[in-house]
Amino acid sequence: MNRDRSDIVNSQGSLSVSDESIARLLCDDNHVEEALRLIMKKYGEQLYWHIRRMVVAHDDAEDCLQETMINVYKYRSTYSNEYPLSSWLYKIATNESLKLLKNKSGFTLSVDDLGDSLKNSVREEASPDADETLILLQEAIALLPAKQKMVFNLRYYDDKSYEEIHQIVGDSVNTLKTNYHYAVQKIKDYILEHQL
Amino acid sequence: MKEFDLEGLSREMPYKMPEHFLDDMTERVIAQIGKQNKKHKEGRIIALFASAASVAAVALLFLHPFGSRLDIPDYDSISQCASVDELFQNMSADELGVYSMMSNYYGN
Repeated sequence: MNRDRSDIVNSQGSLSVSDESIARLLCDDNHVEEALRLIMKKYGEQLYWHIRRMVVAHDDAEDCLQETMINVYKYRSTYSNEYPLSSWLYKIATNESLKLLKNKSGFTLSVDDLGDSLKNSVREEASPDADETLILLQEAIALLPAKQKMVFNLRYYDDKSYEEIHQIVGDSVNTLKTNYHYAVQKIKDYILEHQL
Repeated sequence: MKEFDLEGLSREMPYKMPEHFLDDMTERVIAQIGKQNKKHKEGRIIALFASAASVAAVALLFLHPFGSRLDIPDYDSISQCASVDELFQNMSADELGVYSMMSNYYGN
């Protein structure tokens, strides 16, 4: 443990810290804070964008990321190194995003009914100099059902394998492939239809 | 039919992440966890004191039953005392002198 700790302290700030070392620190009450800092350094940006692609608005992404990290701390004892640390983090972030969307949709609507409202947020949140096709792509993603959206984002942006997506989302690989296929088709159709 | 090249598209996002956002978030999370831990510890200390107080209260009940703690005169044993005449008979001359002085003083 001492050797691992000194390795981490020496390499703090770089992304070369292994997930195993971070996981070990996370389970050690005396080094939890250090582990959380390392997680934020290594995965903070990926998690932020994963959440932001789901919830669209920065303020919502901020709340979700904070809750994600607090849950990482709270449930750190449940982490099993049977799965990669990144999959566990993405899973918590995904759940937090879905929870936020569920809260927004209220009792009567489902998360999938939020499509239009999320699509409208895309343009409001986009930078003034953003590429029009990239805005259209995000609008198309916003209109997808939650499951297709998750699978598409994890595959297209985070370059996750279907096996990793299975660890995060939980569905079978075949179901995930089908979801991705439908998502791609809907996105292409939307962009073709709306592109000038 | 026209096909859109999704794979050839940039992975860039049309949004921006505010500067220093992740560093600020890290500090906020650490502070929030510290606050939660402090609350949790305080709660545990209060709970510990409360259980210690309950144990002490129960122990007091067993160790010092109310009857023996309060200075209630034992009327049964008083009733078994010697009569007033017997008490006077047992008094020394000095004691009787003091009693007589006191009686005169209080007008008894």
